[in-house]
Amino acid sequence: MEISTSELRGVEVFEVRGEIDHSNAGRLSSAVDEPLERGDEVIVLDLSEVDYIDSGGVSVLLSTVRRLRNRGWLGVVNPNANVRRLLEIVGLTVDHGFRLFSDRTEAEDAIEEVIGNEQGKR
Amino acid sequence: MTKEANSYCRQIGVEASPENLREVRRFVEEVSRDLQLEGDDGYDLKVAVSEAAANAIEHSGADSFLDVCVTQHPDDRLTFEISDEGDFHLSPRKPEQAGGRGLGLPLMVALMDEVRIYRNSRGGTTVSLTLFLGGQQRETA
Repeated sequence: MEISTSELRGVEVFEVRGEIDHSNAGRLSSAVDEPLERGDEVIVLDLSEVDYIDSGGVSVLLSTVRRLRNRGWLGVVNPNANVRRLLEIVGLTVDHGFRLFSDRTEAEDAIEEVIGNEQGKR
Repeated sequence: MTKEANSYCRQIGVEASPENLREVRRFVEEVSRDLQLEGDDGYDLKVAVSEAAANAIEHSGADSFLDVCVTQHPDDRLTFEISDEGDFHLSPRKPEQAGGRGLGLPLMVALMDEVRIYRNSRGGTTVSLTLFLGGQQRETA
Protein backbone atom coordinates (compact mmCIF):
# COMPACT_ATOMS: atom_id res chain seq x y z
CA MET A 1 0.00 0.00 0.00
CA GLU A 2 1.19 3.49 -0.86
CA ILE A 3 -0.24 6.74 0.44
CA SER A 4 0.29 10.17 -1.03
CA THR A 5 -1.48 13.41 -0.17
CA SER A 6 -2.85 16.33 -2.07
CA GLU A 7 -5.25 19.16 -1.37
CA LEU A 8 -8.74 19.84 -2.58
CA ARG A 9 -10.17 23.26 -1.65
CA GLY A 10 -8.10 23.27 1.55
CA VAL A 11 -9.04 19.72 2.49
CA GLU A 12 -6.39 17.03 2.80
CA VAL A 13 -6.89 14.20 0.31
CA PHE A 14 -5.14 10.90 0.88
CA GLU A 15 -4.56 8.93 -2.30
CA VAL A 16 -4.16 5.27 -1.44
CA ARG A 17 -2.88 2.62 -3.83
CA GLY A 18 -2.69 -1.15 -3.57
CA GLU A 19 -4.11 -3.37 -0.85
CA ILE A 20 -5.17 -2.19 2.59
CA ASP A 21 -5.01 -5.05 5.08
CA HIS A 22 -4.15 -5.87 8.68
CA SER A 23 -0.44 -5.67 7.94
CA ASN A 24 -0.51 -2.03 6.82
CA ALA A 25 -3.80 -0.46 8.06
CA GLY A 26 -1.83 1.09 10.93
CA ARG A 27 -0.02 3.32 8.43
CA LEU A 28 -3.32 4.63 7.06
CA SER A 29 -4.51 5.22 10.60
CA SER A 30 -1.36 7.25 11.39
CA ALA A 31 -1.80 9.26 8.18
CA VAL A 32 -5.37 10.38 8.96
CA ASP A 33 -4.46 10.97 12.58
CA GLU A 34 -2.80 14.30 11.78
CA PRO A 35 -5.83 16.10 10.29
CA LEU A 36 -8.05 14.49 12.94
CA GLU A 37 -5.86 15.82 15.75
CA ARG A 38 -5.66 19.18 14.05
CA GLY A 39 -9.43 19.45 14.16
CA ASP A 40 -10.13 19.24 10.41
CA GLU A 41 -13.83 18.88 9.65
CA VAL A 42 -13.47 17.00 6.41
CA ILE A 43 -11.06 14.25 5.39
CA VAL A 44 -11.08 12.68 1.93
CA LEU A 45 -9.64 9.34 0.88
CA ASP A 46 -9.23 8.70 -2.82
CA LEU A 47 -9.54 4.91 -3.14
CA SER A 48 -9.57 4.79 -6.96
CA GLU A 49 -6.38 2.73 -6.98
CA VAL A 50 -7.25 0.42 -4.08
CA ASP A 51 -8.04 -3.09 -5.24
CA TYR A 52 -8.50 -4.70 -1.83
CA ILE A 53 -9.56 -3.66 1.66
CA ASP A 54 -10.11 -5.89 4.69
CA SER A 55 -11.56 -5.31 8.15
CA GLY A 56 -8.27 -3.76 9.25
CA GLY A 57 -8.70 -1.03 6.64
CA VAL A 58 -12.46 -0.74 7.14
CA SER A 59 -11.88 -0.23 10.86
CA VAL A 60 -9.68 2.79 10.12
CA LEU A 61 -12.54 4.30 8.07
CA LEU A 62 -15.07 3.51 10.83
CA SER A 63 -12.91 5.04 13.52
CA THR A 64 -12.27 8.14 11.36
CA VAL A 65 -16.03 8.60 10.90
CA ARG A 66 -16.49 8.17 14.65
CA ARG A 67 -13.86 10.76 15.44
CA LEU A 68 -15.34 13.24 12.96
CA ARG A 69 -18.81 12.79 14.47
CA ASN A 70 -20.63 16.08 15.19
CA ARG A 71 -17.83 17.90 13.44
CA GLY A 72 -17.76 16.87 9.80
CA TRP A 73 -17.45 13.88 7.51
CA LEU A 74 -15.16 11.40 5.83
CA GLY A 75 -15.37 11.35 2.05
CA VAL A 76 -14.32 8.36 -0.03
CA VAL A 77 -13.70 8.87 -3.74
CA ASN A 78 -14.30 6.22 -6.37
CA PRO A 79 -13.84 2.88 -4.57
CA ASN A 80 -14.09 -0.12 -6.91
CA ALA A 81 -17.26 -2.21 -6.80
CA ASN A 82 -15.80 -4.82 -4.42
CA VAL A 83 -14.41 -2.30 -1.96
CA ARG A 84 -17.68 -0.40 -2.09
CA ARG A 85 -19.65 -3.56 -1.31
CA LEU A 86 -17.58 -4.14 1.85
CA LEU A 87 -18.21 -0.57 2.96
CA GLU A 88 -21.93 -1.22 2.45
CA ILE A 89 -21.84 -4.50 4.43
CA VAL A 90 -20.33 -2.81 7.49
CA GLY A 91 -22.92 -0.02 7.25
CA LEU A 92 -20.52 2.81 6.47
CA THR A 93 -22.37 4.01 3.38
CA VAL A 94 -25.50 4.85 5.38
CA ASP A 95 -23.63 6.66 8.14
CA HIS A 96 -24.30 10.40 8.29
CA GLY A 97 -20.62 11.02 8.79
CA PHE A 98 -19.67 9.27 5.59
CA ARG A 99 -19.88 10.48 1.97
CA LEU A 100 -19.28 8.46 -1.13
CA PHE A 101 -18.18 10.27 -4.29
CA SER A 102 -17.80 8.89 -7.78
CA ASP A 103 -15.02 11.38 -8.59
CA ARG A 104 -13.07 14.30 -7.22
CA THR A 105 -15.38 16.87 -8.77
CA GLU A 106 -18.26 15.54 -6.68
CA ALA A 107 -16.07 15.66 -3.59
CA GLU A 108 -15.07 19.21 -4.43
CA ASP A 109 -18.71 20.30 -4.73
CA ALA A 110 -19.45 18.83 -1.30
CA ILE A 111 -16.45 20.58 0.22
CA GLU A 112 -17.53 23.88 -1.31
CA GLU A 113 -20.92 23.43 0.30
CA VAL A 114 -19.24 23.07 3.71
CA ILE A 115 -17.16 26.19 3.06
CA GLY A 116 -20.30 28.06 1.96
CA ASN A 117 -22.18 27.03 5.10
CA GLU A 118 -19.32 28.19 7.30
CA GLN A 119 -19.18 31.55 5.60
CA GLY A 120 -22.93 31.84 6.01
CA LYS A 121 -22.61 31.33 9.76
CA ARG A 122 -20.12 34.16 10.11
CA MET B 1 -11.01 -41.68 -0.39
CA THR B 2 -12.13 -41.83 -4.01
CA LYS B 3 -11.15 -39.24 -6.54
CA GLU B 4 -14.80 -38.26 -7.05
CA ALA B 5 -15.16 -37.24 -3.39
CA ASN B 6 -12.93 -34.22 -3.89
CA SER B 7 -12.81 -32.94 -7.41
CA TYR B 8 -10.36 -30.19 -6.44
CA CYS B 9 -8.06 -29.97 -3.45
CA ARG B 10 -5.11 -27.69 -2.76
CA GLN B 11 -3.20 -26.63 0.28
CA ILE B 12 -0.59 -24.08 1.38
CA GLY B 13 1.25 -23.51 4.62
CA VAL B 14 2.65 -20.12 5.64
CA GLU B 15 4.34 -18.72 8.70
CA ALA B 16 1.74 -17.01 10.89
CA SER B 17 2.74 -13.40 10.16
CA PRO B 18 0.63 -10.46 8.87
CA GLU B 19 3.08 -10.03 5.98
CA ASN B 20 1.91 -13.41 4.68
CA LEU B 21 -1.74 -12.34 4.29
CA ARG B 22 -0.90 -11.28 0.74
CA GLU B 23 0.41 -14.75 -0.03
CA VAL B 24 -2.80 -16.27 1.31
CA ARG B 25 -4.82 -13.94 -0.93
CA ARG B 26 -2.69 -14.80 -3.98
CA PHE B 27 -3.45 -18.46 -3.22
CA VAL B 28 -7.20 -17.75 -3.16
CA GLU B 29 -6.87 -15.84 -6.45
CA GLU B 30 -5.13 -18.85 -8.03
CA VAL B 31 -7.91 -21.14 -6.82
CA SER B 32 -10.53 -18.73 -8.22
CA ARG B 33 -8.78 -18.77 -11.58
CA ASP B 34 -8.41 -22.57 -11.54
CA LEU B 35 -12.12 -22.99 -10.83
CA GLN B 36 -13.16 -20.10 -13.09
CA LEU B 37 -15.28 -18.58 -10.35
CA GLU B 38 -17.73 -15.98 -11.58
CA GLY B 39 -19.15 -12.75 -10.24
CA ASP B 40 -18.37 -11.73 -6.68
CA ASP B 41 -17.44 -15.24 -5.52
CA GLY B 42 -13.68 -14.88 -6.00
CA TYR B 43 -13.49 -11.59 -4.19
CA ASP B 44 -15.78 -12.73 -1.38
CA LEU B 45 -13.60 -15.79 -0.82
CA LYS B 46 -10.47 -13.69 -0.84
CA VAL B 47 -11.81 -11.36 1.85
CA ALA B 48 -13.26 -14.13 4.02
CA VAL B 49 -10.15 -16.34 3.86
CA SER B 50 -7.86 -13.36 4.48
CA GLU B 51 -9.97 -12.36 7.51
CA ALA B 52 -9.81 -15.89 8.90
CA ALA B 53 -6.05 -15.93 8.33
CA ALA B 54 -5.64 -12.52 10.00
CA ASN B 55 -7.54 -13.81 13.01
CA ALA B 56 -5.45 -16.96 13.14
CA ILE B 57 -2.22 -14.97 12.87
CA GLU B 58 -3.28 -12.70 15.71
CA HIS B 59 -3.98 -15.57 18.03
CA SER B 60 -1.15 -17.87 17.09
CA GLY B 61 2.10 -17.72 18.96
CA ALA B 62 5.42 -16.73 17.45
CA ASP B 63 7.04 -19.26 15.10
CA SER B 64 3.73 -20.94 14.40
CA PHE B 65 2.24 -21.90 11.08
CA LEU B 66 -1.00 -21.44 9.29
CA ASP B 67 -2.48 -24.00 6.97
CA VAL B 68 -5.02 -23.19 4.24
CA CYS B 69 -6.76 -26.07 2.51
CA VAL B 70 -9.41 -25.81 -0.18
CA THR B 71 -11.74 -28.54 -1.33
CA GLN B 72 -14.40 -28.48 -3.99
CA HIS B 73 -17.08 -31.03 -3.22
CA PRO B 74 -19.07 -32.89 -5.89
CA ASP B 75 -22.23 -30.92 -4.95
CA ASP B 76 -20.44 -27.66 -5.89
CA ARG B 77 -19.70 -26.57 -2.37
CA LEU B 78 -16.28 -24.95 -2.10
CA THR B 79 -14.72 -25.07 1.36
CA PHE B 80 -11.63 -23.28 2.62
CA GLU B 81 -10.25 -24.48 5.94
CA ILE B 82 -7.85 -22.18 7.75
CA SER B 83 -6.07 -23.96 10.58
CA ASP B 84 -3.74 -22.51 13.17
CA GLU B 85 -2.02 -23.52 16.34
CA GLY B 86 -3.81 -21.05 18.61
CA ASP B 87 -7.24 -20.42 20.14
CA PHE B 88 -9.92 -18.51 18.24
CA HIS B 89 -11.07 -15.36 20.05
CA LEU B 90 -14.34 -13.73 19.16
CA SER B 91 -13.57 -10.52 20.99
CA PRO B 92 -10.46 -8.45 20.51
CA ARG B 93 -7.77 -8.81 23.13
CA LYS B 94 -7.05 -5.13 23.31
CA PRO B 95 -9.92 -2.63 23.58
CA GLU B 96 -8.21 -0.20 21.20
CA GLN B 97 -8.52 -2.83 18.47
CA ALA B 98 -12.28 -3.10 18.99
CA GLY B 99 -13.07 -1.39 15.71
CA GLY B 100 -11.03 -3.77 13.61
CA ARG B 101 -10.65 -7.31 14.83
CA GLY B 102 -14.31 -7.50 15.84
CA LEU B 103 -15.31 -7.00 12.20
CA GLY B 104 -13.56 -10.07 10.81
CA LEU B 105 -16.13 -12.65 11.80
CA PRO B 106 -19.19 -10.57 10.78
CA LEU B 107 -17.57 -10.09 7.37
CA MET B 108 -16.94 -13.82 7.00
CA VAL B 109 -20.58 -14.53 7.91
CA ALA B 110 -21.85 -11.84 5.51
CA LEU B 111 -19.79 -13.08 2.56
CA MET B 112 -19.93 -16.87 3.00
CA ASP B 113 -22.81 -19.34 2.94
CA GLU B 114 -21.49 -21.26 5.94
CA VAL B 115 -18.91 -20.46 8.61
CA ARG B 116 -17.78 -23.03 11.16
CA ILE B 117 -15.17 -22.67 13.86
CA TYR B 118 -13.89 -25.70 15.71
CA ARG B 119 -11.02 -26.87 17.85
CA ASN B 120 -8.71 -29.40 16.27
CA SER B 121 -8.08 -32.72 17.96
CA ARG B 122 -4.35 -31.97 17.85
CA GLY B 123 -4.82 -28.47 19.32
CA GLY B 124 -5.28 -25.22 17.46
CA THR B 125 -8.37 -23.92 15.71
CA THR B 126 -9.88 -24.38 12.27
CA VAL B 127 -12.17 -21.87 10.58
CA SER B 128 -14.14 -23.50 7.80
CA LEU B 129 -15.65 -21.23 5.13
CA THR B 130 -18.05 -22.62 2.57
CA LEU B 131 -19.50 -21.05 -0.53
CA PHE B 132 -22.18 -22.70 -2.62
CA LEU B 133 -20.98 -22.15 -6.15
CA GLY B 134 -23.61 -21.36 -8.72
CA GLY B 135 -25.33 -18.92 -6.40
CA GLN B 136 -28.64 -20.73 -5.83
CA GLN B 137 -28.23 -20.67 -2.03
CA ARG B 138 -27.10 -17.07 -1.98
CA GLU B 139 -29.89 -15.69 -4.12
CA THR B 140 -32.52 -17.04 -1.77
CA ALA B 141 -30.72 -15.65 1.30
